[in-house]
Amino acid sequence: MKPLRIALTKGRLEKDTVALFEKLGMDCTAVHNKGRQLILPIGDGSIEVVLAKAADVITYVEHGVCDLGVVGKDTIMENGSRFYEVLDLGFGKCRFALAGPKGKDFYEGFSEKTVASKYPNVTRAFFESKAMDVRVIKIEGSVELAPLLGLSDAIVDIVETGSTLRENGLEVKETVADISARLIVNTASMKLRKQEIESLSAKMEEAIRKDLKVETS
Amino acid sequence: MKLYNKITPEGTRDLLFEECAARRLAESRLEQVFVSHGYQEAITPGIEFYDVFEPARSGIPQEIMYKMSDQKGRLMVLRPDTTTPIARLAATRLQNMERPMRFYYNQPIYRSNPGLTGRNNETVESGVELLGVGGKRADVEAIAIAVQAMESCLPGFRMEIGHAGFFRALASELPISEEEREEIRSTIESKNYAALNTILEKLPDSPAVRAMAKLPRLFGGKEVFEEAFSLCSSPEAVETLRYLQELYEFLSALGLGSRMMVDLGLVQRNDYYTGVVFSAYVEEWGDAVLLGGRYDNLLARFDSPMPAVGFSVIVDAVAQAMLKRGQGAKVKKPDVLIFAEEGMELAGIQYAQRLTKEEGLICENALCDTLEEAQALASKKGIARVDVVEQKEIVKGGEGQ
Repeated sequence: MKPLRIALTKGRLEKDTVALFEKLGMDCTAVHNKGRQLILPIGDGSIEVVLAKAADVITYVEHGVCDLGVVGKDTIMENGSRFYEVLDLGFGKCRFALAGPKGKDFYEGFSEKTVASKYPNVTRAFFESKAMDVRVIKIEGSVELAPLLGLSDAIVDIVETGSTLRENGLEVKETVADISARLIVNTASMKLRKQEIESLSAKMEEAIRKDLKVETS
Repeated sequence: MKLYNKITPEGTRDLLFEECAARRLAESRLEQVFVSHGYQEAITPGIEFYDVFEPARSGIPQEIMYKMSDQKGRLMVLRPDTTTPIARLAATRLQNMERPMRFYYNQPIYRSNPGLTGRNNETVESGVELLGVGGKRADVEAIAIAVQAMESCLPGFRMEIGHAGFFRALASELPISEEEREEIRSTIESKNYAALNTILEKLPDSPAVRAMAKLPRLFGGKEVFEEAFSLCSSPEAVETLRYLQELYEFLSALGLGSRMMVDLGLVQRNDYYTGVVFSAYVEEWGDAVLLGGRYDNLLARFDSPMPAVGFSVIVDAVAQAMLKRGQGAKVKKPDVLIFAEEGMELAGIQYAQRLTKEEGLICENALCDTLEEAQALASKKGIARVDVVEQKEIVKGGEGQ
């Protein structure tokens, strides 16, 4: 039987997912001592882990070269979805927010607003849903700079604690969307390997629920 | 100025040798199946008026259509699918034709996908449309032909059926707006259980809400029907399920066994499909390789309402999968290299024609001046036999010369 191949977003989501797999009793030694290997068998070898950048996780899953993937909702919102999004993993929590200079009403006045973001598609969709014309400028690095330098009226970015915003005299004006890590599945894999995928996703879901109970009790 | 004269546009490609042969093999096998059931080929223009494919009619988003304008400034598109043009034909030129009308097609469609994703913007699709008759007989015919078509190219595939009416029936029982309905539909389409539950939790509890919450999980083998029956109460939903189960049992006679699946969560955009929907999957491809269903509303949009069902096979995907399995066609190589002496050039060509006609051999004409060169060429190209056309006679070469 071909192993199930799962692509993990490198970094924090990878660590959280591996921790979850270990809770399920899977041996993840190969991931901890990965060296230069790119495809890593875990557990009894029935699952292979691939580590990739967030947007690439989506690409691999869409093309079906990976059956599953763990990726943030932020990446899904920005890159669109031609796959199944079956599970909210509950970790990697943060939110997309519209932020601008403190004390200034973003919506005031009649002139077209300019918004800078690393996530132009999310930004555009957000303002389209408000039937509002804005000029969206894509920025690759620290987006907070754009309003400080006078390039934009506001930014749309991922906010966790909001401390970077505060330090730069910005504040959250509005939440655009809540974000957390998601388990995604290739559409053909879901149909061809239903049992394996559903049992893995059910086990992961159960482990997450248990965690939640421990946290709240 | 930069010239783009040495590359093909993104999402298109040149096919040669094995790839060409595999595509032609897939096409000819599919055609054979379609023709054997009395389907006639339709060829439609590569360029059509945009109005034919207007998104509300065709379910095709405008941003993925390639557009241009004609001399009068009217908007044109490169054909983004073939079902809509055949519906146009049926509703206009073929109004008085005996029904049902059966057509098959094999032609490329053009869609402008987002860049750098590796998707094809030019895709060859082969398929059938059965127009003018609704109901079970037509549905069974279409699905059975789809199964036969897949069997002819990629045995071992999985076939999946669903019904657009099931979601519609459940949704009509819920107190929701058009936007909420679309939100629910899209979460079911992407099997996004979490988002679906968030929406449904806001609604007053009812059997329909509980059934809707289960919808994305209602896929698999025939056990799905049992679970679905226990969940739904409205006569419409029950009737849809019964129909689908009947189809499923009917089609199990085709011997697919556990490779026949049901997905009640197949819900397409824009309510394009109105009844049964079906698709086929193979291990070698990350997406469905065949898609089809009943679309009874499309013809009404051309002012000639009639029921219709059909499907299309993504031929490029099928050919690629056949190649991956090592089941493509052999590329035809010459059996004989013919060298004609000076002054006998025409006789050489005529000899080749005779050899092909009488013995069915593929003959390549050697375009060199000496026999030695011809022999060197034959060994380089792996042609086993060299025949020489001389002034007086023809000297036949042996195997392995």
